[in-house]
This record gives sequence, C-alpha cells and structure tokens, in this order.
Amino acid sequence: MSSRIALDSGLRLEVDRIACDGYGACAELLPEGIDLDEWGYPIIAPGNVPLALVDMARRAVDACPVLALRLVKSPAPAPTAPPPPAPVLASRPDRTEGTPPWPPRPASAKAKRGPEPGRRR
Amino acid sequence: MTARLLAGPDLAAGAESLPGHRARLGDLPGRAEREHLIPTLLAAGLLGRGGAGFPVGRKWESVAGRSRGDAVVLANGAEGEPLSHKDRVLMATRPHLVLDGLELAAEAVGARRAVLYVGSEHTQARAALERALGEREADRARALPRVPIAIVTPPVSYVAGEESAAVHFVNAGDPRPTTVPPRPFEKGVGGKPTLVQNVESLAHAALIARYGDAWYREVGRATTPGTALATVSGGQRPGVLEIDLGTTIGELAQWAGVQATVGSPVLLGGYFGGLVAGADAWGMPLDPAVLRAQRSAFGAGIVAFMGDDACGVTTIARIMDYMAGSSAAQCGPCVFGLRAIADAAARVATGQARQDDLARLRGWSGSIAGRGACRMPDGATGLLASSIRVYEADWVAHQHHRRCIARGASAGAPA
Repeated sequence: MSSRIALDSGLRLEVDRIACDGYGACAELLPEGIDLDEWGYPIIAPGNVPLALVDMARRAVDACPVLALRLVKSPAPAPTAPPPPAPVLASRPDRTEGTPPWPPRPASAKAKRGPEPGRRR
Repeated sequence: MTARLLAGPDLAAGAESLPGHRARLGDLPGRAEREHLIPTLLAAGLLGRGGAGFPVGRKWESVAGRSRGDAVVLANGAEGEPLSHKDRVLMATRPHLVLDGLELAAEAVGARRAVLYVGSEHTQARAALERALGEREADRARALPRVPIAIVTPPVSYVAGEESAAVHFVNAGDPRPTTVPPRPFEKGVGGKPTLVQNVESLAHAALIARYGDAWYREVGRATTPGTALATVSGGQRPGVLEIDLGTTIGELAQWAGVQATVGSPVLLGGYFGGLVAGADAWGMPLDPAVLRAQRSAFGAGIVAFMGDDACGVTTIARIMDYMAGSSAAQCGPCVFGLRAIADAAARVATGQARQDDLARLRGWSGSIAGRGACRMPDGATGLLASSIRVYEADWVAHQHHRRCIARGASAGAPA
C-alpha cells in the first residue's frame, strides 16, 4: 500500500478542451498527474493536486502554448451531500473513469514520461 | 395514461388555435398568483425534459437571482436527437402551451426578451409557432406582459441543441458548444443571464401555473411525479405519446404494439442513452429517479425497442458513425476518439475486425468520457459501453468468429 497522506493543495487542474491542441507540454512537466492519450491529448488524474506538486503544476500551466490548462480552486468538499449540480445540459465531469489518482511522488518522478512525444499539429 | 400536454383536439388536426386553447384550458392566473410560480414549480417537482432532468424551479431561480430585468429566455426546440420527435409534435400541435410557458418564464426570471430556438428541419413546428405568435400579437385579452420573441432556427445538427451551443448560435451564428463556465444562466445570450429550457418543460410549467403543484403531483406512479412525452420506436405503432411517469417499459411496449419478446433489448434515452437488456427492461418504470439509480437514464423520453432480429453490433456501429460525424470537431478526444470508435465498430460489424478492436473499444469507452467541452463523448461512449454489456455475445462472435448471431450468417455477408 502506498501512503495517501500527501497534503492537499485545494487546487485542481482543468483543461479547456476546445482550446487544447494536444501539444503535450503539460504531461512532460507533470507526469504524476497528466497522462496523454494515444492522440496526444491530456488525461488529468482525478482529485486535487498534492501540495508538493503545485509548483510543477504551475509550470505546466505556464508551458501550455494555447493557455488551455488552468489551476483552479477546488470546490469545498461537502461533508454530507454533494453540492447541487449546475443547471446545465452539459455538466462535464472532470474526473475520468479509469484514471489512477495522483500517485505519491517517487524519488525519480522528474524522469521522462512515456515513450511517445505529444502529437503536434 | 393521463393526457395533459396532449389533451384536447386530435393531434392530426394540427395546431390548436388561440381561442381553442383558451376555451379548453382557461385563462392564466392573475399577477399576484403568478408571483409564486417559481416556488410552485419547485413544489411540483417538475424536472427538465431536454435530457438532463434538472429541476425546473431551481433553474428559473438561478436566472431570476442574476437578472437585472435583462435576462433572456431561450425555449429549446432544437430536437436534433434522431430518435426523438416529441418536441416537434408538441410545438406543431400545442404551440400556445409552449408560448404560455415561455412568457411565464420570461416574467418569472425577469427577462427582457425571448428566443424560440427551433431546429430548421422542424418546418411544421416552426409554421405553427409563427402563426401562434401572430394570433397572440393581435390578442387583446392577454394576461401576460408582452416580451419580444424571436424565432431562431439552427441548422440540422446533433449538438446545436446543447445549451451552450444554442447560446453560441444565437450570439454568433455558430451552433457549436463553448467552454463552460460561464454557463448560460450566468452569461448567455447577449452576455445576459439566460434560461435555456426545453419546450416540453415550458409547456408543463404553463399547466402548473394554471392548476398548481398539487394537481401536477396527482399523477405519477413511482418516485417522480407528473407526465412526460415519450418517443417510442421499434413497434407497430411508433410515435409520440404522453405517459404517466413510472409507467413500465413493458406497458409501453404493449401500447406501442411491440412484437419483440421480453428478451430483446431496449434503448433508453437515445444516442446519449444506453441499452438495457430486455429481461431487466420490461419491469422498469420510466421514472428519471429510478432509472438514474439503475445507471440508466430517462433522458428526453426516448424508448426504442430493438427487436429480436436486430444485430446490436451493426446498429451501434451505425450510431457511432453518426456520432463521429456529428462531433462539433472542437475537442481532440471527441474528434479522434469518436472516429476511432466508429471505425473499429464498423470493422467488427462487417467481419473485418482487427485483433484487438473489441478490447480497444472497451478501453475507449472508459477513457474518452468526460473529456470534451460538452457531453458528446460521454453520451456516445456510454451507449457503446452499454451495448457491449447487453450484446456481449454478439460483439464477441463478431470479433472472434466473424459471425453475426442475429442473422445467423457471417458478419458482413450481404443480408
């Protein structure tokens, strides 16, 4: 069992999916929390960014050439009932099923990520 | 079955006139009573009928709370979902019910103007609404304050009815979804707080305003009160009907003259919905709360019976191709993901599956959801995943044996 006691920053990453062009710079800078799909588009780990990674997350945000990545305040966790959904047809879940949560950072986490580079177009 | 929205003259007679509408339903209540309309809608428990099922009263409240007398109401009659017909039928036959609801909403949320957003393919609906607007223009006995109403017709498009896309089209002529927030209730048409409400929801509100929340709740057989329009297909009598919420799918099958046996699957909620195995479906109540708890959805009231001889794989492959072609082509996971899904599904359906196609389809159905600006990828992958569950033997036979169980032939062989 890995420890899950990493301090929570209260911040989470959000992608503007329309703006995102799949450059992949974010995943290179923050492999702990951002994976790329087979077309080069980011898959964000669910949940808040651990405090220890906030600086790297900010760098990833700054590195996006189309300003599609944002670090935003997470809504306060509801102790009992979840907050009511916004009144929209298109409420977008930010978590992606099947995506692993933020892992505790291994000592070598700054190393390179997966083999294929981000797709460019 | 209780007829409320569709009570009155035969639907085949076309649009009900203003005098007929008024004689049948009576006048709207006076101003003092109308001031309580939002709490009344909340007490009625009316849920939106565009697909998401959000409580109507809460939506009106959120716009009213932001309006400085300059809000906008957009009646959503885009109905781009291929399996849904209920909105166009309602608009074409009961236009004054929709317009009553639109004007009541405009008054309740503090709107300065209103938009009737009607899919350009719904020509009868549009003609009925135009004529009805003319009748109301000349009406001297009207109870509600006048609000300018413009008819806007988006092009034929699956996504044009998504609420941010509707606002985008009205604002800029572009019927593609936008990144939210800001959501329309915060910043919509002309940058003003905008209530985007499905036309059926508005029509229900027009009846609740007249008869009250207790009346609305008199009908309903499971947990959600009221009636709903449903579009039924796959039986001998396909079409639009009004059901008491909580009616079971089996009962609906009888009314629709469905010949299929209890075992054949049912598609609920349309292309954004999911398949349910017939054995589970027949006793299921058509009730948004119950269906949600069972990880299915009432959506916009679509119930499509698949029939015993239908090949679920081929049907879904066609729908996936439609969805890939209907993507607004803005978000990478939707553009590339839906196309990859459609291509793989087509290969499996036609007996040309590559070794890992089915495994990749299963993977994509989880990895693409939630990664678009709108819910297009969620809707398409949800349907795909449900079809792999319900038609698992068919998918496996197509993938591994190039065999179509439904047709008892090689997959891809001419019918």
